[in-house]
Amino acid sequence: MQSIKFAALAVALACGATAALAAGPNDAQIAAIVVTANQVDIDAGKFAEAHASKADVKAFAKLMVTDHTAVNKSATDLAGRLHLTPEDNPTAQSLKKGGEDNIANLKTLSGAAFDKAYVDHEVAYHEAVLSALDGTLVPNASNADLKALMVKVRPAFVAHLEHARHLQAELGKSGG
Amino acid sequence: MADRRRALAACLALAAGLPAAAAAPRASAPGGSAPARSVAIENMQFTPATLQVRRGERIVWSNRDLVPHTVTARDGSFDSHAIAPGATWSFVATQAGALDYACLYHPTMVAHLDVR
Repeated sequence: MQSIKFAALAVALACGATAALAAGPNDAQIAAIVVTANQVDIDAGKFAEAHASKADVKAFAKLMVTDHTAVNKSATDLAGRLHLTPEDNPTAQSLKKGGEDNIANLKTLSGAAFDKAYVDHEVAYHEAVLSALDGTLVPNASNADLKALMVKVRPAFVAHLEHARHLQAELGKSGG
Repeated sequence: MADRRRALAACLALAAGLPAAAAAPRASAPGGSAPARSVAIENMQFTPATLQVRRGERIVWSNRDLVPHTVTARDGSFDSHAIAPGATWSFVATQAGALDYACLYHPTMVAHLDVR
């Protein structure tokens, strides 16, 4: 059941990206997608930091809050310098909806099931965001500074994905 | 002749320039403090991943990423705590030995210090 939800998230992201791509997202839309993507993971991280049971899952959740907050600060600072007002679009909306659905699902869980659901979602989420970065956001950014910001932040997202996959494997072992 | 002299001058400039960079760490300032060595924290990596230093040398880590990092010795002998994006942290290695260090936040970031 969980895997169906994650597949739905990935499809929503991909479809949202495609919808916005009809003409290709402009820089204002890309700025909205970047800020929303970070905010969604900050919200999930805050919730998981308070509700996860394993210490390393809590620590990962805290890291997501710290890192995505730092990235969003850079993104909003840059948007300000570029006089770029983030513009809502289908991709940003699907990201937001996916984040809300994730937290709604997490609210129904506790203990090991909560940890597993949060970490599984983080793996799927970072995979989807990296795919959107590479396939849609970076190629369509016209402002060089905006493009550079996304290129610069990419290694952090890759590290988060590796970290989440490592936790996923650990939880798989302990969950038997 | 002029060409040879120019070529010789170029060689000398090169010879002077290259070892200067390599030898710099060995030179001691009169005050007793050695010049700093640098490690970049960028793209979620420490560069160079292995650094050889002499006792008394200052090592400066510069965080060029957009997220905070730490420089934390495995054996607990030093810990920068959070280094904000754009900030630096430095440490003077006083004891000889091999030290592994990592970023406490990002487990994939590991590096090595060889103090001689």
